[in-house]
Amino acid sequence: MLPGPLLNYSVVGNTLVPHFLGEHDHPWLRVLLEEHERFVGQPQRALDARLQEPLPCESPPTKRKQAVHVLSWLRPSPRKTAVVPARAREMVFAEAARTATAAAAVLSSVAASLGVSAGDLQDSLFADLPGERLVAAPPSPLSPAELALRTNLAIARALLFRATAVTIEADGNARTLVRHSKLRGLICTVAGRTCRADFVLELSGPFALFRHTRLYGHALGELVPLLAWCRRFRLRAECVVEGRRLTLALGTGDPIFPADEPRRYDSRLEERFARDFRRVAPDWDVLREPEPVPVGDALIFPDFALHHRRDAGRRWLLEIVGFWTADYLARKLLQYRSAHLSNLILCIDEDRSCTAGDLPAGALVVRFRRRVDAAAVLRLLG
Amino acid sequence: MKLQFDRGTILITDPPPNVDLAHAPGALWDARVRAHRAPAIHYHALKSWLAQAGVGVVDLARAPRPRPEAWSDVGLRPYQQAALSAWELGDHRGIVALPTGSGKTRVALAAIKLTKLGALCLVPTRVLLDQWLREISAVYQDAVGCYGDGIHEVAPLMVATFESAYRHMHLLGDRFDLLIVDEVHHFGGGLRDEALEMSLAVARLGLTATPPRDAAVVARLTELIGPTVFELAVADLTGGFLASFDAITLYLDLSGDERSAYASLSAVFIGAYVAFRQTAPAAAWSDFARAAAGTTDGRRALAAWRQARRLLAFTRAKRQALRSLLGHHRHARVLIFTADNDTAYAIAREHLVMPLTCDIGRRERDAVLERFRQGTIRTLVSARVLNEGIDVPDADVAVIVGAALGEREHVQRVGRLLRPGEGKRAIVYDLVSRDTIEVGQARRRRKGLVARASAQL
Repeated sequence: MLPGPLLNYSVVGNTLVPHFLGEHDHPWLRVLLEEHERFVGQPQRALDARLQEPLPCESPPTKRKQAVHVLSWLRPSPRKTAVVPARAREMVFAEAARTATAAAAVLSSVAASLGVSAGDLQDSLFADLPGERLVAAPPSPLSPAELALRTNLAIARALLFRATAVTIEADGNARTLVRHSKLRGLICTVAGRTCRADFVLELSGPFALFRHTRLYGHALGELVPLLAWCRRFRLRAECVVEGRRLTLALGTGDPIFPADEPRRYDSRLEERFARDFRRVAPDWDVLREPEPVPVGDALIFPDFALHHRRDAGRRWLLEIVGFWTADYLARKLLQYRSAHLSNLILCIDEDRSCTAGDLPAGALVVRFRRRVDAAAVLRLLG
Repeated sequence: MKLQFDRGTILITDPPPNVDLAHAPGALWDARVRAHRAPAIHYHALKSWLAQAGVGVVDLARAPRPRPEAWSDVGLRPYQQAALSAWELGDHRGIVALPTGSGKTRVALAAIKLTKLGALCLVPTRVLLDQWLREISAVYQDAVGCYGDGIHEVAPLMVATFESAYRHMHLLGDRFDLLIVDEVHHFGGGLRDEALEMSLAVARLGLTATPPRDAAVVARLTELIGPTVFELAVADLTGGFLASFDAITLYLDLSGDERSAYASLSAVFIGAYVAFRQTAPAAAWSDFARAAAGTTDGRRALAAWRQARRLLAFTRAKRQALRSLLGHHRHARVLIFTADNDTAYAIAREHLVMPLTCDIGRRERDAVLERFRQGTIRTLVSARVLNEGIDVPDADVAVIVGAALGEREHVQRVGRLLRPGEGKRAIVYDLVSRDTIEVGQARRRRKGLVARASAQL
């Protein structure tokens, strides 16, 4: 987490405007990366001391510190030493306590007993401390543009760490956002749909009811890189910064490093069905994770939408209900019953033993065992 | 009506139509879930309020909880027994303030045994987590739970770090009826207070050697834990339950080049600082640091201040004095305290003495303390690790080369020496650079050692 003193932002009215790094920062970021590379293999403290001083080109001090902080997340590698450092400390300090001789004589005596030189022993003594570890090269070459994006992500997350509640309007990737919120103990309510977005989520935690707490800042900050996978998004966060209540807005196109692509399928069952259906139904498109369906305060996320390519009126939502608990199945079916969908296909695992009364009225049902029969689904679509 | 523990809060559902929950303790309407909700700390007040209102309640808030019962004897000294009694009289809520080394943990263990309640003990560091686990295991024969340092084991008697408690109290808050907070002065003014609000526990015991004096912090701690119910200072116990000690301040001169460098750095810093204080007389240091970071002159002033501190951390005279003191006390167990880790390592390299810092791993640290206990090493140097709570084996001499955190840190450092011994008289050397900011700092930190209240022993 970027520490507070390194946060760089303006306040316009009640709005928090982060000072993101952009293309104009790339020249000095390139110099910084070159400096970093020059120190690869040297002790971390040498690089730290160098970066305390200005770069050979103009660079904004706070932004430079932010980028240095992000670079520091590359873990330095331990040094190879003649003696394991902890062993060296144990022997040297015990010998120093035992004798009244000078430090050099103690080192020589212990070194002789270990069969190494006094210099090597002295070099081993603290070689495992953070400042003595060796600067490591990034796992893959880091460009100035990527370092800028990663720094911006750190800035956005550090600001959201101060957030008490967040509203997200977005298209696509809702399932990932909702899943993350639930896993992290947030309360996620659906504030309906707007002309600009498929869904609007309001996220905060139970304790946020009582005060502007930062308890949920970590979980809210983790949403930022996931947003890059929405087709469009707008995020508004209520933040408390230095005692002031301010609003942070982020949106599509903000220069923030994205998370890894979310998994396209939740299970091999779903992946296999999509592949099979595309093969047996060339006239149909299979859309993974269509727009969510609001049911009261909640959203349901059908697994697929099936569209006929030449007949826009023929569109079905499909849900695969597979390996779940009886409780989960009951809740899921209740939600679908409440949604009153007229174009729903439910694929139910035969082992779930649902009776007809459990199922939503009007839903088409395909029962399956191990594998959803794509041809049977196609037959239902007519 | 149902009461449920929901992630650090009490969710109140299905209330009868004739009950207005707007006046229930701590309860607010939560439109997100269409129910009333209260912080977990209000659980008992809420139940009492509902009972008085004659409302029947299905209480689903408390997780099933076996009691910790496998205790052996927890012997107490008279002042520890007095502290425990004061806490009992305070309705099992309150703070006990006892000097470092006087056995605060023992009071806590006796409180758990006495109340027979499932207890969660919160400690500030992983080092203290290990130490509490060891101390509990000495008098309690069942498994002890642990939450912190990557371990998540729940048991009716459990120890957790503050950080873990803050992150996980939404999962743990319904499992314990007694909350014990070691080094409780860390709470009362910070973000982590919420961890204490997210627990249902009605019985609460705070432990500290240095109770806070700030009125707002005291008021907040009274809400979260209870008032200070018992307090003794170092001077109340020295010579009896704690060893007597001599505090010797050595005023040392800077060398010529150190003096001139210090004067230039001070001039840069003081110029900016005085100008700031004139515009904001009531501002805190953090306000100055924030304002200074925004201007070139301010940044220069902060850099000068940091350099001046580095210069004072280990001057030539301190180096010389330390060499003499280590020679003089060659056969004693010596603790050296520094203002920062860099100085600790510099001393470790120069004198070949073992540093104990946050960089030294747990296993090695434990082995080092054991060797110190056995006497195979006789000197340790540390910036912060030895300050708080950690049970350092008996030591006779402390040399304070540098300090960073004022009165509280000083009381804790001196406390490291006060384990009583036959005819023991400990010595604390405070190395202070003459005509520098260290003189005032040293004077202020010594205030914490004077007696605060007379013990009722």
